[in-house]
Amino acid sequence: MRSPAHACMLAALVDSHLRGAPHPTSGRVAEMSNAKERKHAKKMRNQPTNVTLSSGFVADRSGKHHNRGGKPFQTQKSESHSGSWRQRQTKMTHHSSPGANEQSSSNIMFKKKGGWKAGPEGASQEIPKYITANTFAQARAAEISAMLKAVTQKSSNSLVFQTLPRHMRRRAMSHNVKRLPRRLQEMAQKEAEKAVHQKKEHSKNKCHKARRCHINRTLEFNRRQKKNIWLETHIWHAKRFHMIKKWGYCLGERPTVKSHRACYRAMTNGCLLQDLSYYCCLELKGKEEEILKALSPMCSIDTGLTFAAVQCLSGRRQGSLMLYRAHKYPRAMLGPVTFIWKSEGTLGDNSESRQLWIWLHPTLKQDILEEIKVTCQCTQHMESTVCIQDPLLIPPQEGNQSELPDEKTGKKRKWKDDGENAKPIKKLCGDGTRDPHQPYSWTSPTTGIIISDLTMEMNRFRLIGPLSHSILTEALKAASAHAGGEDTEKTPHQWWIETCKNPENVSLHHRQEATFKLLGGVASPAEIPAGTILGLTVGDPRINLPQRRSKVLPDPEKCQDDEKVRQLLLEGVPLECTHSFIWNQAICKSVTENKISDQDLNQKRSELLVPGSQLVLGSHESKIPVLLIQQPGKVTGDDLRGWGSGWDVLLPKGWGMAFWIPFVYRGARVGGLKETIVHSQYKRSPNVPGDFPDCPAGVLFAEEQAKGLLEKYRRHPPAKRPNYVKLGTLTPFCCPWEQLTQDWESRVQAQEASHGISCLKGEEGDFQRAQVPCASALEESRHPDNGADPATKDSHEAESVMDTECPDQARTEQASSPEATSGLCVLRNRRVLRQLSAWCGPSSGNRWAAQRAHGRGQQELTRETCLSMSDCFPRALVWVSLSLLRKGSPEPHTMICVPTQDDLQQLLQDRGYCGPLESKHSDPFKSKIRKQKEKKEAGNRQPQGQAASEGLARRGPDGESLALTQGLWPGPLPAVTSHCSRVLLGFVTQGDFSMAVGYGEALGFVSLTGLLDTLSSQQAAERGLVLLRPPASLQYRFARIAIEV
Amino acid sequence: MAESREPRGAVEAELDPVEYTLRKRLPHRLPRRPNDVYVNMKTDFKAQLARCQKLLDCGARGQSACSEIYIHGLGLAINRAINIALQLQAGSFGALQVAANTSTVELVDELEPETDTREPVIRNRNNSAIHIRVFRVAPQ
Repeated sequence: MRSPAHACMLAALVDSHLRGAPHPTSGRVAEMSNAKERKHAKKMRNQPTNVTLSSGFVADRSGKHHNRGGKPFQTQKSESHSGSWRQRQTKMTHHSSPGANEQSSSNIMFKKKGGWKAGPEGASQEIPKYITANTFAQARAAEISAMLKAVTQKSSNSLVFQTLPRHMRRRAMSHNVKRLPRRLQEMAQKEAEKAVHQKKEHSKNKCHKARRCHINRTLEFNRRQKKNIWLETHIWHAKRFHMIKKWGYCLGERPTVKSHRACYRAMTNGCLLQDLSYYCCLELKGKEEEILKALSPMCSIDTGLTFAAVQCLSGRRQGSLMLYRAHKYPRAMLGPVTFIWKSEGTLGDNSESRQLWIWLHPTLKQDILEEIKVTCQCTQHMESTVCIQDPLLIPPQEGNQSELPDEKTGKKRKWKDDGENAKPIKKLCGDGTRDPHQPYSWTSPTTGIIISDLTMEMNRFRLIGPLSHSILTEALKAASAHAGGEDTEKTPHQWWIETCKNPENVSLHHRQEATFKLLGGVASPAEIPAGTILGLTVGDPRINLPQRRSKVLPDPEKCQDDEKVRQLLLEGVPLECTHSFIWNQAICKSVTENKISDQDLNQKRSELLVPGSQLVLGSHESKIPVLLIQQPGKVTGDDLRGWGSGWDVLLPKGWGMAFWIPFVYRGARVGGLKETIVHSQYKRSPNVPGDFPDCPAGVLFAEEQAKGLLEKYRRHPPAKRPNYVKLGTLTPFCCPWEQLTQDWESRVQAQEASHGISCLKGEEGDFQRAQVPCASALEESRHPDNGADPATKDSHEAESVMDTECPDQARTEQASSPEATSGLCVLRNRRVLRQLSAWCGPSSGNRWAAQRAHGRGQQELTRETCLSMSDCFPRALVWVSLSLLRKGSPEPHTMICVPTQDDLQQLLQDRGYCGPLESKHSDPFKSKIRKQKEKKEAGNRQPQGQAASEGLARRGPDGESLALTQGLWPGPLPAVTSHCSRVLLGFVTQGDFSMAVGYGEALGFVSLTGLLDTLSSQQAAERGLVLLRPPASLQYRFARIAIEV
Repeated sequence: MAESREPRGAVEAELDPVEYTLRKRLPHRLPRRPNDVYVNMKTDFKAQLARCQKLLDCGARGQSACSEIYIHGLGLAINRAINIALQLQAGSFGALQVAANTSTVELVDELEPETDTREPVIRNRNNSAIHIRVFRVAPQ
């Protein structure tokens, strides 16, 4: 009658039905909501209808069903085919027997199951005597066809193409159905038809070929970068990176491939390449004294060397410093910058005029440019019209330069107006940080300084890692000096021929070349003096591009030249070798304009007699002036010395891709903005602009970040996101620095009051006297209260050095004192920081460390020294690095807290102690939110008139409710420091597991007052231990604080 | 690379520490072959020993076992380098031999000025280093 296989299939069907059905006998049957039924219906949606229909079938012919249900069982038994079947049967009966009573009630709801229940019930009572083959076969046939249908029908949401295993997929399948396996073609056809309707219509006016046409593409590209400027490497990046629009540019954020660790390895062992062309460059031209005089009020010797540092002023090294608003130090921070001076008096430049380039982050540019313009008194715009009228002020060279953008904008405008008539040019220059029609150059009639904005006039590529030497020396070849006048035919590179006429220049070029070649024998950029500058003129790097991408390895052969390498390492690059023609705008312009296009180059390559041989362009080869700047890696601290050091390459604009590809082909891995952050984090240096909470760009960054995080938080339903109120996190998305410092101030004041002022009064006098003899770091802080002390400090040369600066700084004091009460500042005084860092470390034992501290004129950590320090810097923040003792990887906005005595005791007893737990807080706002919700619903239900009358009464809470988000602390914050069981000290701004050291590391700011208070209350052995707690966790973890200067 | 702990007092006695900051540069080194091991004082001793053992047994990543490795130690790490080499030898039942070379490494210290008028000072100092070749010999 039927095969055993069939029986098995049937059994499976029965089984699946039973399992799929909710247990009808449970007491919850009556409660079963519509939702559950809907869910069930959804599950059964793809089931063929006639299978479920069998229940209806049953209801109709229950009498017959008894027979039908019973007979096969019997036959099965007689065949004694399987014990399992019997088991299942008994199970079935067991399931259904109690349900029989309730069947009447549940029948309506679960009709399908009722049918199946009915069968066994009948079967248990009586076994059918016979079975009609005809009806039985019919029913089975229906079921089989249903099953077959179910098999052929696709139930998932995926496309047919996606159901294919990966190795069988082909690209052509997406547009040609016939490429698919035949069994899938029919379904794919249907899908394709469906997709055609959904597809966005392409613009009708242009066919695909026309759109791909070069001119049209350029037009389109120019249109697309109207708002956010593209870098020259944009298209290369856009194919491989997640692009984001930031700071007026389109920048690659992170590679699309999974490469976090690979990029780290590249930084440590290989070479990581980054395009930093979005950095802005400001050029100052004028007399050295004038420039120094103008800029000196903007920086302070306290924070490090200034523009006047000898090695930077000569042009040998790159310098870096913090800029402040003039005379406002230590408040009103503007941002960190790096700068390079053009080396003096080389190659017949008039030594009167110096050139200074200030490189800065685009977010800082507006403020700094404005401030520099004010200090240099540069108010006059310099445009081509001005140039013509006022030739006395501007050398002719500048005239050319200033005409450049004008003609460019003119061209652009023309082509916009006339449409297709003007030939669109590739936009080489653009600047995301300023309007193209705005002036970019200013001059001052009094000081004679010319400021120009050279943003996007140069490319800046950064190579990080030990392999960068090999890549540089491999990819760049110094230009061949022009041999002589035998071929005086017209070449576009006239400037190089002119230069080579002077034998001095040629010998300089050869010396630069020799120095550059020496780099190949140096294993790591960290061995070279920090900030070394090397100028060079190189040939076209596209010419000796390798056939395929490969990885260069350091050549042991090159490392043999011992004496010269030693010389280089000891003394750095000789002064004259820092000269580069990139400082000369006219030459840069000509180099940019006379670049051979890739197409022409490839054309010439294809015309070579021997395919693949070296292309020789001779005098037609471009000569590109470049400038190499060594970037010091990690210089602070003791460990990981020199990590992340590398070279920056400055190129004239237009040459970006021509250098980019050769670098990549030599094995450099490319990183995006995320890698920049990782780099600065592992280096433990603050990241621009996120880690400068006292400069406007930093504040803006924090606001944007908070907004983004809040939006993301709100996207989750309340049950799927942390309730920060319960976790005791007041501000999970931002760091309330102002409030933190204020809280600590009042906290310490309250402590003082409780300690009793009387006893302290007496000590204060002692302390004053005690402080005078020792050369204190605090005396440098120049607080009016300490005014008596600096008199003893005349030994310091700082005052005598900065003749011009002295009166300014005196004014700084006066200016800052009234302001000191408001606003926050970040402590950047190196002496004070050094003192603090000595206090932070555990001062147990270590004899020579103590000796050293004494030698450096440092003080013991006492209550008095602390007090005086925090008096000098009220509401200051300190940049600290934290390394976790055991587990845990911190994240941004993690709270830095003060451990209690018990915590430290427990840690001392148990080395494996992870840290205390914060007890859960209550959420008083939850009920409020719920009430409001209810009220709202009630209000919606009520007629309009009533709601309006109630409106007045509800106004108060309603106003609040708009801001209420469940899980976030609404409204004004309570005291941030004492909200949790451990006192809050500061916040982490960057934090992650650090692959460089192998455990969690964090960087952040703490309140100076709080830090001093904590340190002075801790035992010497465990000084500098703090607790970290991420915003979404209750667990505190121990970390050690360190201040690196 | 090992921290070089030579008496710092000597350097600092000559120059006013308030005027300069000491910045040590990385020691110059040759490109690294796969069978070079630079010993430092920061990594766990056992881990470094295991690394050498692994190099001898199965070689670096993607390479066959090295028949010889070079263990380099500088300054304070000389002791540890010797220790590692001897441990390797002791654990090999006579299959490994060691041959030591000593040398002097020139180190560069840079003294960064704290005031604008001064040039940075470069100091040269020497430190001893050891290079131990650990190699397999055919067992007799």
